[in-house]
Amino acid sequence: MLLQISEPGQATIKEACKQRVVGIDLGTTNSLVAYVRDGSPVVIGDDPIVPSVVRYHGPDGKDVVVGRAAVGTEGALASVKRLIGRGMKDIASVRGLLPYELVGDDRSIKLKVGDKEISPVEVSAEILKSLKQRAEAALGGPIDGVVITVPAYFDDAQRQATRDAGRLAGLEVMRLMAEPTAAAVAYGLDRGGSGDGKRGVYAVFDLGGGTFDVSILKLVDGVFEVKATGGDSALGGDDLDRAIAGHVVPELTTLARADVTRLVVEARRVKEALTDHDGAEFVLLDGRTVRIDRARLREWAKPLLERCLKSCRRVLKDAELSRDQLDGVILVGGSTRSPVVREAVGEFFAKPPLSDLDPDQVVALGAAVQADVLGGGEQQVVLLDVVPLSLGVEMMGGIVEKLIHRNTTIPTGATQTFATYADNQTGFDIHVLQGERETAEACRSLARFTLRGVPPMIAGMARVEITFLVDADGLLKVMAKELTTGKEASIEVVPSYGLSDEEVERMLIESFEFAETDLALRNLLTERVEAERILAATRAAFAGDRVATEHLLDPEVRAAGIVAMQGLEGAMAGDDHLAIRAAIEHLDLATKPFAQARMNRAVEAQLRGLTLDEAESQMSAPPAAAGDR
Amino acid sequence: MAVESRSSSNFFELLGLPVQFDLDPSQIERAFFDRSKELHPDRFASAPAAERVVALSRSRALNDAYQTLKKPVGRAEYLLGRAGVTIGDNERLDPDMIMRVLELREELSDARAANDLAAVERLQAQMKQRRDQALRELGELFATDDPVGAKRVLITLRYIDRYLEECDAALDED
Repeated sequence: MLLQISEPGQATIKEACKQRVVGIDLGTTNSLVAYVRDGSPVVIGDDPIVPSVVRYHGPDGKDVVVGRAAVGTEGALASVKRLIGRGMKDIASVRGLLPYELVGDDRSIKLKVGDKEISPVEVSAEILKSLKQRAEAALGGPIDGVVITVPAYFDDAQRQATRDAGRLAGLEVMRLMAEPTAAAVAYGLDRGGSGDGKRGVYAVFDLGGGTFDVSILKLVDGVFEVKATGGDSALGGDDLDRAIAGHVVPELTTLARADVTRLVVEARRVKEALTDHDGAEFVLLDGRTVRIDRARLREWAKPLLERCLKSCRRVLKDAELSRDQLDGVILVGGSTRSPVVREAVGEFFAKPPLSDLDPDQVVALGAAVQADVLGGGEQQVVLLDVVPLSLGVEMMGGIVEKLIHRNTTIPTGATQTFATYADNQTGFDIHVLQGERETAEACRSLARFTLRGVPPMIAGMARVEITFLVDADGLLKVMAKELTTGKEASIEVVPSYGLSDEEVERMLIESFEFAETDLALRNLLTERVEAERILAATRAAFAGDRVATEHLLDPEVRAAGIVAMQGLEGAMAGDDHLAIRAAIEHLDLATKPFAQARMNRAVEAQLRGLTLDEAESQMSAPPAAAGDR
Repeated sequence: MAVESRSSSNFFELLGLPVQFDLDPSQIERAFFDRSKELHPDRFASAPAAERVVALSRSRALNDAYQTLKKPVGRAEYLLGRAGVTIGDNERLDPDMIMRVLELREELSDARAANDLAAVERLQAQMKQRRDQALRELGELFATDDPVGAKRVLITLRYIDRYLEECDAALDED
């Protein structure tokens, strides 16, 4: 028998044959890279945390410094993750807080460095290159593939931009993975060793510097199913820093930008000091000090934490679970180190949160596991992630028909048939939207395209089939097909600018806050469209009867019909959908004798010209519903 | 094309479940997890491109099947659809039921107007009970093979669910 003896730390033969794959947590503040060694994920580097800071210097800005060496230096670029996949409009709220000059339009952003303009994708690529070098040094050879994590709320544009940054850094991006999912994977494999015990339902509470994500995951024997995901991304440790500074120095908003920055940095220092101590001194601009204790911090953090907990309640509802059905709560992100945050989370979920893995490392560790799975490693893990926000198309009247609902497991697809609205309509506009609200205006527009060459037919006769496909990275593709001719059009929905996190979160919050108004508005729009159709049909039938040889319209019925039509027009001017519905039914009733007479005549006409069989089969055929879906 | 290929096999088959309404949620979930382990695209990460495309569409179909069948209403609608019974968007309730729904609606809007959350919760609890009852009835109707009755109950369930959504919206206002 041959024994293989390898020194500790040295790669075994099996590992040498395996692909070299790593997981990368590309964070707003810090980034890390990790890989699976001997079946367990480990972070790479003695000091594994690489600040997500890049400095361009030297002639033409050709020399690049990444990480700790760049922190605090002149012209250093930090927090570019807030800009990736965004347009200028998207980042209006954070623009003032970023200490560098930006140029761009609604579709893209560049950072001004000297006389150069650099895109957030390029800056991110520099961070990734630096992590790649680290990994290659540790693994002893070129990296074959990576998994990069993104916030669960990242939309298509942000995901695509992140993927582009990976490519630009010369990396093969095997998968983009949601950060909370990565955290759960790291914990899932950490708990109970291999085999037994690895099951349960967990909440992942991820409070970073600038974003808040919460996901509910179920873990059963190596399958991780995301039940629901949500968040509030205008929320993070940075907001708490600003709140502290604002409480200590009430005139904060009137101060110069440099002074504000100094006070916010001081607030962060105090906040961090309060993690291990009951009190800390806040040093004011003039050198005087104010003592802050933990009770104070707790009070000041309360409004922010309440917003986090509101998201938690919502996500539990989406997952159809109650708090006591959770087996544990996982903490992720540097901001969860604060005892104030831990207490609030523990109290809300009625159980002490798990924090035995370093909250700064846990995402990278989970990404490493997933990279190992995709690279042909031994871990048997299947991740079932979800679409974070509903996807749909705009319908007549500006309402949104959702084809794929949020929290649907990916990959997924949906197909729905739509009818033309107008007679002889030859083009079909398809407006793709993302969001929870009921009206197109309130959702994020992802793409618009037109299917041309629809054969001219009566309204409702031409049918267009629209298909949405979402892949395992969460990226959407839309296809449209005219059913009688088979004419097709398709588009990869890679929006040139995406939803900002703030926008996603705002839209989600609004969809709940305005659920009622939305529903009423949807009803109103639906009824108006219906009323419009009925009025047009009735007018056409009345006019047709006037010129017909055999008059079917009784003068009394005509008079009643006209009154009912006026009533309906009156109701349409108002915004009570129930009133419109009532007026529609009234018009229906008033014109019923006429409709019946017309129907009888049509049937007779058909019977005359057709055999009994033919007539019967025609009559029993489903009516060609106009404008249905 | 991927989407069309899935219509050929039915959702129950895809999950390896018997074609019936009466299924335990944990049974459905277990079937889904087991099948996901075989079909997920990650299992084919290093397979040739053509195989990966097939894996993706199979996985998509599996997720659709789970999404459709995991909840009783979706499962019932799917079963009826297979039997040729479809439920349109503007199906009407029988007149008795309409009156009851209208009354309960009025009570809810009164409770909301008065900002009486306790009353909203009471109405919600009442409607949830009705919902449970309707689901039990649905089970019996499927057991006795009565698609017409099942359709009637499903239409009622739509009204119940819309009502419950409104209760949620009322309770969410804070």
